[in-house]
Amino acid sequence: MKILACYSNKGGVGKTATSVNLAYASALKGRRTLLCDLDPQGASGFYYRVKPSKKLKGKSFFKDVECFTRAIRGSDFDNLDLVPANLTYRDFDIFLSRMKNSRSRLKKALRAVDSDYDVIILDCPPNISLLSENVFKVADKIIVPVIPTTLSVRTLEQLYTFFGKNKYQRKKLIPFFSMVQKSKNLHKETMVSLRGQYKNILESSIPFSTEIEKMGVHRAPVLTYAGTKSVGNAYIKIWKDIEKRAKIG
Amino acid sequence: MAPFTYRFTSVFNPKKFKEIVHSGHRYTVFYENSETYSCSLLDTFDNELMQAGRLLFKAEKLLFAFDMQTGQFAEQKVRRHWSFVSELDEGPIFNLLAGVSPLRALAPIGVVNVQKGQGNLLDDEGKTRVRLINLTLINGKKSATVGSSRPLRGYDRAHGDLKKWLSALDAIPCQDLVELYTSLGIAVSKYNPKPRLQLVAQDSIKKNTTIIIKTFLRVARANEDGVIADIDTEFLHDYRVSFRKIRSVLSLFKDVYSQEDSVRLKHDFSELMRQTNKLRDLDVYLLNKEEYYSLVPKTTHAGLAILFNGFEKERRAEHENVAQYLKSKAYRKQLKKWQTLFGNEDNLESGPKSGEFTSGFARRILLQRYKKVCKIARSIDATTEDEVVHQLRIHCKKLRYLMEFFTTLFPAEEIRQRIKSLKRLQDNLGRFNDYSVQQIFLKNVLAGQPAGNAKGIKVAESIGALTAMLHRLQNKERRQVMKNFERFDSPEIRESFDKLFKNEVIANENPGLLQQ
Repeated sequence: MKILACYSNKGGVGKTATSVNLAYASALKGRRTLLCDLDPQGASGFYYRVKPSKKLKGKSFFKDVECFTRAIRGSDFDNLDLVPANLTYRDFDIFLSRMKNSRSRLKKALRAVDSDYDVIILDCPPNISLLSENVFKVADKIIVPVIPTTLSVRTLEQLYTFFGKNKYQRKKLIPFFSMVQKSKNLHKETMVSLRGQYKNILESSIPFSTEIEKMGVHRAPVLTYAGTKSVGNAYIKIWKDIEKRAKIG
Repeated sequence: MAPFTYRFTSVFNPKKFKEIVHSGHRYTVFYENSETYSCSLLDTFDNELMQAGRLLFKAEKLLFAFDMQTGQFAEQKVRRHWSFVSELDEGPIFNLLAGVSPLRALAPIGVVNVQKGQGNLLDDEGKTRVRLINLTLINGKKSATVGSSRPLRGYDRAHGDLKKWLSALDAIPCQDLVELYTSLGIAVSKYNPKPRLQLVAQDSIKKNTTIIIKTFLRVARANEDGVIADIDTEFLHDYRVSFRKIRSVLSLFKDVYSQEDSVRLKHDFSELMRQTNKLRDLDVYLLNKEEYYSLVPKTTHAGLAILFNGFEKERRAEHENVAQYLKSKAYRKQLKKWQTLFGNEDNLESGPKSGEFTSGFARRILLQRYKKVCKIARSIDATTEDEVVHQLRIHCKKLRYLMEFFTTLFPAEEIRQRIKSLKRLQDNLGRFNDYSVQQIFLKNVLAGQPAGNAKGIKVAESIGALTAMLHRLQNKERRQVMKNFERFDSPEIRESFDKLFKNEVIANENPGLLQQ
């Protein structure tokens, strides 16, 4: 099982769209995938039409691992389940450590209900100070969408600095360019210069697309309604790259 | 997340279903029907699929299957002609049929029109909470719908609601197909290669002997058409096993029929079985083809290919002979004569033990046979001749047949356990025998090969390699025999055999004697 966190310390970079679509791409490849909506402002659950579970709001939620497995909802798609959550960060910490510890009750409980997932994708909240640093320790890879603009470059620099300072493994970070507009010179230039600076950036990128905007209307992953369009292919391609980097499968 | 598998006694009505769901205002339903396919319903001759609660349909280029136990539906395209599961491409149907005997052909048992319906129960966000799938089957004027509903994870409550609505529309839980077949007017074949013989303990052994033979004559005859049509090799196998059982009865049930009758019948049945010996040998060979290829080095594969081509050709000719034989007037007349003969015990002359109670007779010969098995097995060590091991195999087989014939006279679980305890040893001995028979067969094939030409040399090479491997395997089995017998001869098993078969022997001997 691999845990992938989808994280950005800046909002509005297409983080939730990334989580939603990568989870779908993973499931499409036959990987048993669990998408955890950990961002109170995020909308992974919304895009999959899954209502937030009332049970998840209780403080004692993680005391009882069965509650966790009971909170899992099947999406409308094969191999893809969701935890539509509104977690507190404290719960989130416990959630992660249990998820990772193979001897934990949570892991056992997951196995017991035949949900030993191949891939768990965490749609994380966009705030570094509040975000539990457990994510950085526990996740196998951290996928970071970056819009190729000056501001985004700064936040990526901040993230790398933060990792360096706190002795987290910088190689866990997998940045990729999101909402790319090839017609804009600024985007092109920024991409070239950043690629020179950070070798880790993924080859493939996600274009700016109205199809992604339409997710709110369709309330479904892009690949379900625009699978043959370039943006659909981009998600498939980027997932392939991530699988390779994270050694999934 | 357990599925609900159900059957409607009539055709499912989507309109009514929608009405009933929508009246609750919490959910909506999406439901659509496929086109109607004209299909053959497939099963093996011994109804393997029906017994496992599985429906398998073949439309022109499409297969679909429905598993009543798990509610699973599967669909797969088929391109070419196929009869066996192993001939299917990998896919959902192939996976669903994984447990079906690789030796049995799947053949049409009926023709039905099939329409598939798929539905989703959606909440107010348009999220699917439960899925359902229905198959409506139409045979002339008769029709029925089977289906299953399955909640998506975390939506059991919605599934509870759906089950209520389905029940309101007369869906009844259903995991078994007999009722469905009956309601559709599809004939359910009652073929069972191992029929449970309902013997009465207090009946005379002559009466029950006659019943046993009559039963296995029927089993054998049920296979004739399949052998002639060459549907699969199991028809001939079951046919031969039935006659082997009859022969065992005639030789083991001593003095039940007059000596004259017994000798003549034994001879006649042996003659009959001889007619199919060669075909069965070739079948076994061809069934093992892949294994043989894996046993020998690749350099000898060319020789094996020539050898197997020869076997295939020979088998075609031999099958033709057997088919002609089974269709012949003489054969049919003979079988009919036997069926009449064994139709009534009075048609056969009684032997000195004919009046004995079945229970006493059974216990006596079972105990005798058991002791014989133990005696031979205990005498076996590393230096014993192979021939003795063969004897042990034959006696073990006879012991098992006896236990099977008389199953109903003993407590079911105990007799089942005894048969099971013998199984490992029997399998071991069976393999020992197979390897030995195959070596002899190959030796004969080799003798018939033309000497000197290139083809002959290649074949000789492959036979040499194969024989060496078979010999090694045979020795391996040989070493296992003592070990397996030790397990079989444990004090607990010995005691259980004694306990099961020793009782009442004396008490039952009297009535038999009185009748003499």
